[in-house]
Amino acid sequence: MNDSSAPSLVQAGRPLFSRRRFLLLTGALLSGQAVLAASVRAASSRPLQFGLTPVFLTNDLELLSKLKAYLSHRTGFEVELVRRRTYQEIATLLLSGQLDAAWICGYPFVVLQDQLSLVAVPVWRGAPLYSSYLIVAADRDVDTIVQLEGDIHAFSDPDSNSGHLVTRAALAEIRRRPEEFFRRTIFTWGHRNVVRAVGSGLAMSGSVDGYVYEVLAQTEPKLTEGTRVVRRSELLGFPPVACLRAQAASAPVHALRQALLEMHESPDGRDVLNILKLDGFVQGSPDLFQGIAEKVRQVRSFG
Amino acid sequence: MRRADRLTALDPRSWPITIKVPLLVAIMMLAVGVAVTDRVLRRLEAIQEMHLKELASAYMDGLSALVLPHVMHNDTWEVFDALERAAGGYGGLELMWTTVVTPGGSIIASSQPQLFPVDSDMTRSLIQRFAGNAELILAKDEERAHLRRILTYQDRTIGAIYADVGISRLLRERRDVLMTLLLTNFVLTLGFASLGYLLVRRMVRPVNILTHYLGRARTKGLDPIPASHMPRAGSEFGKLFDRYNEMARAVAERELLATRLAQEEKLASLGRLTSGIAHEINNPLGGLFNTIDALKRHGDSEEVRRTSISLLERGLSGIRDVVRAALHVYRTEKSPRSLTSADIEDLLLLIRPELKRKKLRIDWRCDFSGSLPVPAAAVRDIALNLLLNACATSPEGGKIKFFAGQKDNTLKLVIADEGTGIPEEAKSYLERADAGKAPIEERAGLGLWMVRRLADELTATISVMAVAGSGTSISLTIPLREVEGMRHVA
Repeated sequence: MNDSSAPSLVQAGRPLFSRRRFLLLTGALLSGQAVLAASVRAASSRPLQFGLTPVFLTNDLELLSKLKAYLSHRTGFEVELVRRRTYQEIATLLLSGQLDAAWICGYPFVVLQDQLSLVAVPVWRGAPLYSSYLIVAADRDVDTIVQLEGDIHAFSDPDSNSGHLVTRAALAEIRRRPEEFFRRTIFTWGHRNVVRAVGSGLAMSGSVDGYVYEVLAQTEPKLTEGTRVVRRSELLGFPPVACLRAQAASAPVHALRQALLEMHESPDGRDVLNILKLDGFVQGSPDLFQGIAEKVRQVRSFG
Repeated sequence: MRRADRLTALDPRSWPITIKVPLLVAIMMLAVGVAVTDRVLRRLEAIQEMHLKELASAYMDGLSALVLPHVMHNDTWEVFDALERAAGGYGGLELMWTTVVTPGGSIIASSQPQLFPVDSDMTRSLIQRFAGNAELILAKDEERAHLRRILTYQDRTIGAIYADVGISRLLRERRDVLMTLLLTNFVLTLGFASLGYLLVRRMVRPVNILTHYLGRARTKGLDPIPASHMPRAGSEFGKLFDRYNEMARAVAERELLATRLAQEEKLASLGRLTSGIAHEINNPLGGLFNTIDALKRHGDSEEVRRTSISLLERGLSGIRDVVRAALHVYRTEKSPRSLTSADIEDLLLLIRPELKRKKLRIDWRCDFSGSLPVPAAAVRDIALNLLLNACATSPEGGKIKFFAGQKDNTLKLVIADEGTGIPEEAKSYLERADAGKAPIEERAGLGLWMVRRLADELTATISVMAVAGSGTSISLTIPLREVEGMRHVA
């Protein structure tokens, strides 16, 4: 049985949230109230609302407190870190103007590219790129995705690039869909959870963010040692920090961008980067996400 | 140790009280220990099971609330995540696995997905071991408890949680308690038994002292217990010891009296003997004087002179023999010496006057020559007494039999007469060992008492065969032994 109940921006090749449909659904918020609300918020001294997706290690309270302290200090705004269980919730909050900016995944950024603007892109291992991993239990003897047929497969989030889209696209290449290729798919709502599910044996294979997996291998080796990487995708744009286009020039977003870009320059910023195992942030360009956009097209064209 | 001794040693009735009391204490302590241990362990088991039930129930309550919405959505990940989170919150429970299933028994998620893969069917036996509404089953053999909770929503069953928890910690706790109890009981038992031993030993010490002194009485006579060994005056044992000392003094006085009586008896028989000896000397004396007269008158004659000298020599030799024998018998010997056949022959010499007086015949046999390792004086006194008695009881012209000889490791003496037979009480008196402690009532019995006393000293046995009207035969069996070691034997 498949987790068909999991909401997704793109599902089974049929865009649940096609760009048009998404606009229809959230149009009112975006075009009217949200913009208004944003300007009202900017005028008042409301905290800078920064959304975080489970793309990275949101369960690390020390990281959250240090990140908040750093951003508050650097931006001069009181910063509020907003966390939600799913990518979709954060995306909705961002689109509805309730967030000044959010660290989202490349997939929603590509889908909603005409609404969003890049604030900054993290740099990992020298580049603003990462890849998606297909993992299995360490003792399992498989080499290709084809051998995973009939598995119970763990995805991270329906709106995750590395934790869903990449595998879906890889299956589309061989004219297969996860719903019928796998015996069952599970959404675990976090890359760390994918590793847990595969490591414990709950799932037989999983799609996970390569960056998260590598960081976990360093920080929580017990979690990853029960697993093995079967397939690494090509390098794709790292999950970016984005804001509404309408707010790209606002003071909070400007301050946030500066704080992120200069993070590697101050000790407390380096502290945060050290926990995140990132090198820093760059301005980045939407071109970085061409690879992801291609995968979206692939999945959609498969129908 | 001989078999009989071993058997006696095994019989608890023969054990000393110093062993019996501590043993009894130990047995009682053991019984109390067993009862207490049993009660404590039962109670502990009940408490542990109650705690386990409470804890298991709390775990299931918490877990049910956590997984219920996800079970309704059949959300494998959320159920798994809930199981993992709940596992950390119940440190008191040794969770082996927890598995959530649909009403049909299909596994939604398990904390051990390797054992219980998602979507597979829960093993029938695991489900079926729960009868009715049972929520906890203890399986002590497997050292675990099986838990179950049915998940219901709006009165409808939407699934169930199964779990196994280890109870090895509880069992270990029970073993620890058992070991502690055993050790404590052992130490207490040992302590109380030792204390009992020391107390009883202290309590029976006066009894042991008394036993020791009474035991010594057989060989050394009754000695009063010295003041240093006396218990506190006025206590039970103090009174007992006072009585014993009084008795010891009374016995000592009686012994003294008996010795004096024996001396008198000795003197009396000496008187009788002396008169006999005097008679024995007197008889040849008349002849000797006659010979002297003959010598005075016809000393010129060679024939007369030779005959007279020969007569004188024989007469004087007879007198010398008698005197020597008397001296021999009554000389106080500085140290005991072994009996010789000459000592026996001396006896014949000594009783000859009595034999003559009553015209008695004697059948005299001495079957040993040289010496035998028995104290000469004591044996001689016994034999002389019995011979004189035989002479006294025999009718005139009667016959006395005497036999002395070695038989195995003993000296055997037999004295038989043809008298009227020895009275029954005298017979049993003679035959009873230890009877020599006190003389028999009648004055006439002093001789027998001396015999009995000396026989006791020689550890000799006496048997009397009396046939009414045809005499008495008294046999003595005296064990041969080193005379040097018997200095105390008179």
